[in-house]
Amino acid sequence: MATAIDKTVSAPPSPAAVGAHRGFRGNPWRRPWAMEGFTWLYIIWSIVPIGIAVLFSFNKGASQATWQGFSTKWYIGAQVTSVLHNPSLHHAVIQTLILAGLTTLICVPLGVAFAIGIDRWRSRTANGLNFVMIFSFVIPELLLAVALFMLVTQALTFIGLGTDAEVAGLVVWNLSWPAIIVRARLASIGSSYEEAASDLGAPRLSAVGRVLLPMLTPAMLASAVLVFASTIDDFVIVEQLSSTASTQPMSVLIYANVHGGLSGPALNALATIMLVVSLLAAVIGFFAYRWLTRGERTEGTAEALATIAGI
Amino acid sequence: MSGGHVQLESLTKRFDDVTAVDGISLEVQPGEFFSLLGPSGCGKTTTLRMIAGFEPPSAGKILLDGTDVASWAPNRRNVNTVFQNYALFPFLNVEENVAFGMRYQSVPKAQRSSRVAEALELVQLSGYGKRRPNQLSGGQQQRVALARALVLRPAVLLLDEPLGALDAKIRKQLRIELKALQEEVGITFVFVTHDQEEALSMSDRMAVMNEGQIEQIGSPAEVYEDPGTMFVADFLGVSNLMEAEAVGWRDGECTLQVGEFHLRSCCGEVGTRGPVKVVVRPERIQLLEHGASQENSLPGMIQRSVYVGSTLHVFVQLFEGTTIQVWITNTGQADAGTAGTPVSVHLPAEALRVLGAGDEPAPAEREGEAAGTVAAGA
Amino acid sequence: MSARDRTFTRRSRWLWIGLAAPGAVWLIVLFVVPFYAMLAVAGGGLNNFFQTVIPVWNPLHWSTFNLNAVWQNITGPNAFIGAPALRTLLYTAVASILSLAIAYPVAYFVARYAGRRKTMFLVLLVAPFWISYMMRMLAWIDLLQQGGLFNSALSSLGLPGNTDWLGGKSVTVIFGLVYGYIPYLILVLYAFLDRIDPSLLEAARDLGLSKWRTFWRVTIPLSKPALVAGTFITVLPMLGDYYTNQLLSAAPGTTMIGNVIEGQLNAPGETGQGAVLALMLLVVLLVPMGYYVIYTARASRDYA
Repeated sequence: MATAIDKTVSAPPSPAAVGAHRGFRGNPWRRPWAMEGFTWLYIIWSIVPIGIAVLFSFNKGASQATWQGFSTKWYIGAQVTSVLHNPSLHHAVIQTLILAGLTTLICVPLGVAFAIGIDRWRSRTANGLNFVMIFSFVIPELLLAVALFMLVTQALTFIGLGTDAEVAGLVVWNLSWPAIIVRARLASIGSSYEEAASDLGAPRLSAVGRVLLPMLTPAMLASAVLVFASTIDDFVIVEQLSSTASTQPMSVLIYANVHGGLSGPALNALATIMLVVSLLAAVIGFFAYRWLTRGERTEGTAEALATIAGI
Repeated sequence: MSGGHVQLESLTKRFDDVTAVDGISLEVQPGEFFSLLGPSGCGKTTTLRMIAGFEPPSAGKILLDGTDVASWAPNRRNVNTVFQNYALFPFLNVEENVAFGMRYQSVPKAQRSSRVAEALELVQLSGYGKRRPNQLSGGQQQRVALARALVLRPAVLLLDEPLGALDAKIRKQLRIELKALQEEVGITFVFVTHDQEEALSMSDRMAVMNEGQIEQIGSPAEVYEDPGTMFVADFLGVSNLMEAEAVGWRDGECTLQVGEFHLRSCCGEVGTRGPVKVVVRPERIQLLEHGASQENSLPGMIQRSVYVGSTLHVFVQLFEGTTIQVWITNTGQADAGTAGTPVSVHLPAEALRVLGAGDEPAPAEREGEAAGTVAAGA
Repeated sequence: MSARDRTFTRRSRWLWIGLAAPGAVWLIVLFVVPFYAMLAVAGGGLNNFFQTVIPVWNPLHWSTFNLNAVWQNITGPNAFIGAPALRTLLYTAVASILSLAIAYPVAYFVARYAGRRKTMFLVLLVAPFWISYMMRMLAWIDLLQQGGLFNSALSSLGLPGNTDWLGGKSVTVIFGLVYGYIPYLILVLYAFLDRIDPSLLEAARDLGLSKWRTFWRVTIPLSKPALVAGTFITVLPMLGDYYTNQLLSAAPGTTMIGNVIEGQLNAPGETGQGAVLALMLLVVLLVPMGYYVIYTARASRDYA
């Protein structure tokens, strides 16, 4: 034991020790190369086609397969077919933004208040309402869209097809995002902060307003981003509930024109605009979330990403 | 039970730019209850995980009964682990959890159920076999984890803060049971903890770790009574620290000067000259009436005394300014408590330990000390 | 509980009810009532002159007119719903198995082995989630069209490069379903797999299991909630999908049940039948949906 502590050996990684890891059974701590390669293949598969589609929105020619040089004509240049000048194309952009903005403005406060109320009310009615909310989360969108179509064409005909119906439907379809995210956050907050506020003399309502809402801000932000982006991307509900061309958002227009009609790179340009708006919302949301939860946890980035993606 | 000899040689683990374990060497005898004690982040858990096989060492050897297993996968090593959070499989009941490993140890099917029953009886959980882990209390889960590891009859059992997640009362009870169990089965236990009381009360020997290195190895009494370094003195229990000047030496003793007073000390590095640090445990100090003419005494004044039940913690300010703590056994007539009372503090020569100069002992000294203690303990 | 406490609780209860009320009303009026409207249409009649729906709101007066018509379409001499229904099941089954086979290794790798690069991988996995479904389909329509890059790539490899992939090929539709829904599946799987306590896997190795056995005996059982949730998250929307098929094929040979419902809804005189068919699909899906809701609630409790 005289050489018990021998620091000279420990300084460089001993070649003998490293070599010994490659025994006849292989190194037990080997990196899973096959799985990593597979993951990269998936990532390439999931992202590269999108990149190509974006690229062709800048094509000089009318082809979506042969590159004929860079141009922004499909966005602003061409007099008839560009997004800027074609009325149905730029109308669709505006309609999408209107729908996303209105839906987010209505859906998030509604969902947050609903989640707080359901979480604290604790009754059979509350449980039942929660169940209905989760059901609205898992039901196939087509079924809800068909039901809403029946509602606005047969019963609440004063709503009628169009922007009002689209917003109403999008709000109910997305209500579960803020509700689920806020409930998860409420569960991790617990009730002690509100109790502390009450203990310091705040009435219930101010306890909610001055303590709970600030603590829920990250969750509200995350759900706002999710609702906004999912409305931009929504197709089924808006397709069933839109009436004339003027109430068709981008997704419906692309769908309707893929086989004939306004085809060509103008559609790619439209899809690229959708993509940029969604990604912008996601990136802003991500950094805002990071900022709001700064100093709150150590695993910040991955956590923020997961929350913004609704998982 | 034969086997269970563990030897670590210059074991090192680096995570990117952080060195978690810095070339430690130690030896655990078969059948020994050995503790790795240290604050969080000192490398004790990483050391344990390397012995178990969950982390490959960056350098060094891990000898299990003479064979270097450093490059072996965990399932090939004859060691088993009790995890801090127990790591019981939630989709299996207690019996299935305990029987889990036997399938891969070629234990005949007929024997498995009797061995499960034995193991559960050993940890006093007979009758709980059909329950799910989440239906058990923390203490019960801990026992299942113990049974699951012991049923495989490993040469060495590794325990990673197994009592850490339990209530204080259950923890104290399990401490006694765990030690009794280890004596019964005779398996080598390597026990990682940050709780000094746990390490002191259960271990045959222990190693105190700090910043990836071993500060001292020895029996609990050696480590507690003769702390080799400032860190050990401070980490184990409460130590009073004083500065003094070594002025005289005589076979295994030295004379220390504090102000105009002289103290005799007979332990630690009594050969050191010049300014030294002196540590003394609060329970070894006596308070005498002011003016009592006892040798090895210093005058002081009571600042405050705190009643903690079995003892009285008295804070005394010495004449030169330092405050020391003195623990007096509560005999029911404690009256030393009034603040402002002048007293005489008696520091017995065999309780005063000289640590040598400087805040941090030089690495060479520390290693010499640690290696020396290993030799003494082995 | 004193009288004052009770008033206090009652008062705050009204606060909670008030907070929940707007959302609850919205959910009832626009989620529960619409399905009643669907029932009313399904149980209603038809204006023979205008070929429009006459909804019947009183359940006592519901007729089986539309139900009979649908039943004829399923079992009668000119039945045409059987094939799309079977096809839907087949496509969904194949597409979800493929999705799981691709998504599980990816999610498992990122959750367990990505280490410090986890954030980078997560960004790359989350990205498709933010790219609209329509964009992702459009990208493949570009690639798969005749004269598109996919065919060019095939012919440059010496394979036949003039296949009309968008002309009603089951392979294309299944591929589209996988491509469309896999980002959600991966995120769900990742969320569950990331929560698996690594010490459970270490415990299995410690108890003598090899890597593969640890995977089969511990990782897979621990992944069960992930697999169940992930399967539902892909299967349920696939069963109601009509646009993937419409975009990538639009041929009668690949019609799915969603296309039938969607088509009837907008066809004069067949709206009532569409409502009946949608209700039938809903009834069939109620069981898996209910199971999913209860299962995830229980799983999050058990594995917490």
